[in-house]
Amino acid sequence: MSEPAAPPEPAAPPEPRAAQPDLTRTGPGRLLVAVYALFALSASARAGVQIATKFGHAPVAYLLSAFAAVVYILATVTLTVGNPTARRIAVLSCSTELAGVLAVGTWSLADRAMFPDATVWSSYGSGYGFVPLVLPVFGLLWLSRWSKRARTRRTTVT
Amino acid sequence: MNGAVPTTIIIAGLALAGYSLLMTALNRRMTVPLLAAVGVLEILLLVEVGLVVAKLAEGQRPASLPTLIGYLIATPIVPVVAAFWGLVERSRWGPAVIAVAGLVAAVLMVRLHEIWPIIHV
Repeated sequence: MSEPAAPPEPAAPPEPRAAQPDLTRTGPGRLLVAVYALFALSASARAGVQIATKFGHAPVAYLLSAFAAVVYILATVTLTVGNPTARRIAVLSCSTELAGVLAVGTWSLADRAMFPDATVWSSYGSGYGFVPLVLPVFGLLWLSRWSKRARTRRTTVT
Repeated sequence: MNGAVPTTIIIAGLALAGYSLLMTALNRRMTVPLLAAVGVLEILLLVEVGLVVAKLAEGQRPASLPTLIGYLIATPIVPVVAAFWGLVERSRWGPAVIAVAGLVAAVLMVRLHEIWPIIHV
């Protein structure tokens, strides 16, 4: 049988598709979203109580708490949705978060008078087991894996 | 109030976290025994919430009542959400989510004590 050789399949990468998480919220992303949701909840609850009950006591710290809460909520939602636009926003919020925890962490150590009360990011998140410092790093690592995969998929398709 | 319940929760939470992380390391998915363990933790947390509410009903107040109420609402929700989020994941990362819930339960008990020292650990 000399059938004209079928055009060689553009050998799809032999990734076992079932084993590969298909969404940013699956696989390790499941853990990431869980921890982000936890921080979204605790940061917004903390900021809400602080701003509602004693805003004048430490306005800068409380506004930063509220800002952190917004960033965590944004990261949680965008990591859960996971489409290309959401991933771009997720990269932005993780980067903001990393910059925030480094800046506020340094600021809180340098100028203690400005922070009579702690924020989530004070002392690089030491009050939260330094999870706020580690979390955006893992977030960005996870998201970078995704953009890499999207790029290879696009090149194999074309 | 003696500290038997919160102490039990801390030990149970840490044990659950350890076992769950072992499951993740061994590449296991969520199992029924793990889910049952989350159920036990949830019951313990509800008992603790009940004990704290009883203290409030006696007329005693912590320094920051809104904070305490926030913790009382959030505490029993954590294992339920974690169980759901872990169950929909069909990989080793399901148990990892449960590990977070176990750790959080332990941390919440310490924080409850800080918010209201009348609650012993």
